Amino acid sequence: MYTLWMQVVVLALAPAQEGPPAEEQQLRFFESRIRPILAEHCAGCHGPRKQKSGLRMDSLAGMLQGGKAGPALVPGKPERSLLVTAVRYRDPDLRMPPDGKLADRDIEDLARWVGMGAPHPDRAAVGVVRRGAVDGEAGRNHWAFRAPVLPALPPDAAGKPVDAFIDALLRSKGIRPLARADRATLLRRATFDLIGLPPTPEEIDAFLADPSPDAFARVVDRLLASPHYGERWGRHWLDIARYADSNGMDENIAHGNAWKYRDYVVRSLNADKPYDRFLLEQLAGDLLDAEGDVAVRQENLIATGYLALGPKVLAEVDEAKMEMDIVDEQIDSVGRGLLGLTLGCARCHDHKFDPIGQDDYYGLAGIFKSTRTMENFKKIARWYENSLASPDELARKAAHDRLVAAGKKEIAGLEKSAAADTKKELQALREQVKKLEEDSPVLPSAMGVAEGVVADAAIHVRGSHLTLGDTVPRRFPRVLAPDAPPLGGSGSGRLPFARWLTSGSHPLTARVMVNRVWRWHFGRGLVATVDNFGFQGQPPTHPELLDWLAIQFVRDGWSLKALHRRIMMSEAYQRAGGTDARAMEADPENRLYWRRDVRRLEAEAIRDAMLAVGGTLDRTLGGSLLTVKNREFVFNHTSQDKSTYDLRRRSIYLPVIRNHLYDVFQLFDSTDATVLSGDRATSTVSPQALFLMNSDWVASVATATAGRIVQADASKAGRVARLFLEAYGRTPSEAESRRLLRFLEDGGTWQSLCQAILSSSEFIYVR
Amino acid sequence: MLNLSRRRLLGQAAVGFGSLALHSLVAAEDQQRPHFAPKAKRVIFLFMKGGPSQVDTFDYKPRLQKDDRKPLPFEKPRVQFSQTSGLLASPWTFRAYGQSGALVSDLFPQVGQCADDLCIINSLHGTNSAHGGACLKLHTGSDTFVRPSMGSWITYGLGSENRNLPGFITICPTLAHGGTKNWSSAFLPASVAGTPMGNAGSPSEEPRVKYIRNPRLDPDSQRRQLDLVQSLNRDFLESTGPDSALEARIDSFELAFRMQSEMPAVMDLASESRAMRRLYGLDDPVTANFGRQCLLARRFAEAGVRFVQVTHSNTDVQWDQHGDLRKGHERNAAEVDRPIAGLLRDLKARGLLEDTLVLWGGEFGRTPTCEGKGWDGRDHNPEGFTMWLAGGGVKPGIRYGATDEYGYYAATNRVHIHDLHATVLHLLGVDHERLTYRYAGRNFRLTDVAGHVVKDILA
Repeated sequence: MYTLWMQVVVLALAPAQEGPPAEEQQLRFFESRIRPILAEHCAGCHGPRKQKSGLRMDSLAGMLQGGKAGPALVPGKPERSLLVTAVRYRDPDLRMPPDGKLADRDIEDLARWVGMGAPHPDRAAVGVVRRGAVDGEAGRNHWAFRAPVLPALPPDAAGKPVDAFIDALLRSKGIRPLARADRATLLRRATFDLIGLPPTPEEIDAFLADPSPDAFARVVDRLLASPHYGERWGRHWLDIARYADSNGMDENIAHGNAWKYRDYVVRSLNADKPYDRFLLEQLAGDLLDAEGDVAVRQENLIATGYLALGPKVLAEVDEAKMEMDIVDEQIDSVGRGLLGLTLGCARCHDHKFDPIGQDDYYGLAGIFKSTRTMENFKKIARWYENSLASPDELARKAAHDRLVAAGKKEIAGLEKSAAADTKKELQALREQVKKLEEDSPVLPSAMGVAEGVVADAAIHVRGSHLTLGDTVPRRFPRVLAPDAPPLGGSGSGRLPFARWLTSGSHPLTARVMVNRVWRWHFGRGLVATVDNFGFQGQPPTHPELLDWLAIQFVRDGWSLKALHRRIMMSEAYQRAGGTDARAMEADPENRLYWRRDVRRLEAEAIRDAMLAVGGTLDRTLGGSLLTVKNREFVFNHTSQDKSTYDLRRRSIYLPVIRNHLYDVFQLFDSTDATVLSGDRATSTVSPQALFLMNSDWVASVATATAGRIVQADASKAGRVARLFLEAYGRTPSEAESRRLLRFLEDGGTWQSLCQAILSSSEFIYVR
Repeated sequence: MLNLSRRRLLGQAAVGFGSLALHSLVAAEDQQRPHFAPKAKRVIFLFMKGGPSQVDTFDYKPRLQKDDRKPLPFEKPRVQFSQTSGLLASPWTFRAYGQSGALVSDLFPQVGQCADDLCIINSLHGTNSAHGGACLKLHTGSDTFVRPSMGSWITYGLGSENRNLPGFITICPTLAHGGTKNWSSAFLPASVAGTPMGNAGSPSEEPRVKYIRNPRLDPDSQRRQLDLVQSLNRDFLESTGPDSALEARIDSFELAFRMQSEMPAVMDLASESRAMRRLYGLDDPVTANFGRQCLLARRFAEAGVRFVQVTHSNTDVQWDQHGDLRKGHERNAAEVDRPIAGLLRDLKARGLLEDTLVLWGGEFGRTPTCEGKGWDGRDHNPEGFTMWLAGGGVKPGIRYGATDEYGYYAATNRVHIHDLHATVLHLLGVDHERLTYRYAGRNFRLTDVAGHVVKDILA
């Protein structure tokens, strides 16, 4: 259901210049020089018989109206005319005629003719055909572009608002939901959900022994207070931030300071930093007033790493293209990540489905182009980093530099006096200075952005910087902010942009985030297309619930932890898995939440859970594990693999090397760290089985697990029970216990048994 | 006992390596069938990393030979990777080969003898003059976005012919310049990603699929362990109720177990005769490394792997002679000439060349103008370069398209990378405009919104 956005507006062309001689001369020029070129070289494909790309070059009207790529001609503006771009062969994607460049003189004449205002005998009769604006009115009626309205709660909602919305829909379909899951299942579910690790046997015992009605609520509070919460949910956010420790793309250079942003995310989530503040810092932290607090200032600067972390073609030889590609990556990440909008689609043309015009895109592009992301664009280009140096550090560095300078001066002096006995002294001094230089303190810095050269951006016709159209003032997309004036001013506009997103009345910001959190708890969003709330996205299954959660989220001061509690305390979250014939019939995909779906753990959680069960998980928080220095190649032309993953730290701390992700993570569908993804896939492929069956890594974890189990209990049955508790979070049935003991009796080792348990579905999946 | 679903049966019968993921099964029904009768059933892509020079190999330019060291009489491209000076004549002699009389330089005497089987396209052009961008463009059709590799698209469209092997294998690929992105499935199902064996930094003697061998358990003990895993998996499935992913998981373990024995068998070259090893150059240390890769490629093709890529790259960027052109190209060509000719002859003798498409080329060509001071280097050139095809439904013994008189720009019958992709798909019986995948709200293609089948080279 989308409307045709293009409106074709026919305007009368301004009357031609007075003065017959000039006009006559110009027309003669057209007839003698231009018409023959067009007839011979263009009209074959863009004429009466064929209209390739919907374009006709045999009439003025045809050229003005243009084809799929836009108007061929802007009278008086050769630099903005695709015709001129095409014949000049400067844009590799638009070269006409295709099988050979025109003679230089022909090209010059065409450009001159356009510059004259395209004199043509039909001129008086033809109006200019201009593409009109996007239809904002129809766009604003799309559900996601209207501000959420607090829905009335269903009558029996007291104390359980989430369930009220869920149950109302289930009732209307005649589906009876399944009962609450048993306690052991619930604990394993909540623990993996919030901290990405299995519950320990002690935690299981404590919860099973706690009869109080608020026992589960206290479990949720305990987990939300754990420092591992930030690691688990920080990893989710890093999926949205397309976080990586290397650039990837063509020149795979280390993001040596990206880890500071990653640790910032973990800290922010652990502190339950309000989501509006969290976004404000990431989009415009450099512009926020830290009120003189150095630590706050550093945190704000680190946060802007969000905008800087994207993959860049650093050896792009066309510097103007590189700059716009970087801006585009930022717009795409902010668009889909924070707004659930595929804004990037409007780079080359008006959005095909959503009411986002190309001018809306370049209104935003102006903001990011006015933002400094790069130090320079020379290949291999360098990204910009904000200095985090404290006054002390700066002073120490300056003192060190002075020392080196003094040493050099002394050397120069000694070099002049050529006396033989100074030779040894000189040698010693040189070594000393060299050592000093090597030990020069490296000032701390972090990838991030600053204000750049502030300027509005021009529309790039067909997305190419080689054909620029009108300049658009920096502003927000009209469909979302119809009345907002252009930004103007001396700043890039990033701060107003961030404030607009987090104003609390923005129709998308809160909805998109609560939907993400729901997705990470349930495996599917209320809006299934979590990164796309536009016309091509799915409508919400529970629109009122989505709005209610979004509004409450803002009212709770944008607290994510409050949102987790709301969701996890619902019956919908706590339901058992299993099946029911009637419900299966009515809702086989469980879109209405009549049961809990089984879900496979994410790549990182699989690894962390194995290390936890093996007892070798290193729970240290934060820091960098990169083995290469900032801006060094992680991969150059040599294909030498410098990465190592033989580490026991939590998965979130393993370096994320673009183009060369840890293969185990890749195997289990981690994001590719190049483009954001709020909805990871869950594939089931044989290489996963090969990894579990044959890798040294799993074998080593199984050995460690076996060692722990054997030590934990003297009896075989006791050990089996312990293994079940550690890995599955429950005790084995008698039949299960017997089967495992028989495996041992038949010659299987404890190591082999543990590997089987760690490879089995019940360990890798959560009920 | 569980009532096995239709999907599960389908998984057993129709799809290849690991294609047991739910979404790929759905895909299996929709796709996995050519749109029209294919000429080629599989592809072997011989990738010359770094950019071999067209004017020193398959694109003879008499004017260039004559105007050595003179300035280029027309404009160089708007963007260039490095600065170049005047024209540099090829240091190598060209000879006419076979009935077609194709001119091939002395760098490729063996391949020259196969000239009557080659369809040489002299008018390729791309868009990117840096290795990374050009590699991504050639492999995925895009140098800006993360897109599925050509091998992934083909495997997605046609499936694998051998259910115990991957549908897309890449032997000793380079980890630089796009690295895994060059064989990734991007948004397509994970099951159609290229399976790498070794990498360009390691010798081809022991290229291996990771985790294919169990170094600890004998087959009986491993079977017993697997039986335990599977019994636990079936219990879990029973407790959750029907679940296609959990069913697929049980199958994936069985498939993995079968693959463990099938893969080493295909890779074991012991059964190849001495004559065969000689044909591929395994008896000579210069050619042995690449020869082994080519022989493996033939064995995989024979076993039903849909797309096999062989990369010629060492720990340097093999064909990237900004300087040292004479020595570098000489050595590179010496390493591949005999193995490639051996592969072509072997495929032909087995009747495999008829429905196997062999594709040769680099990510771009090189400038006819000289880079560096010693008149011995050439810069990257995406504006005009040569690739050749053989077998699989292309006209043999022809030359198509041409560069300008110096070999700089593709001039007549220009073939863009997108056109090459469209043509490769066409030969496989796939319409490049209909092989689509819905992602992020729209349909995607290997050829994006471009690409024309080069009809003139179809047999």
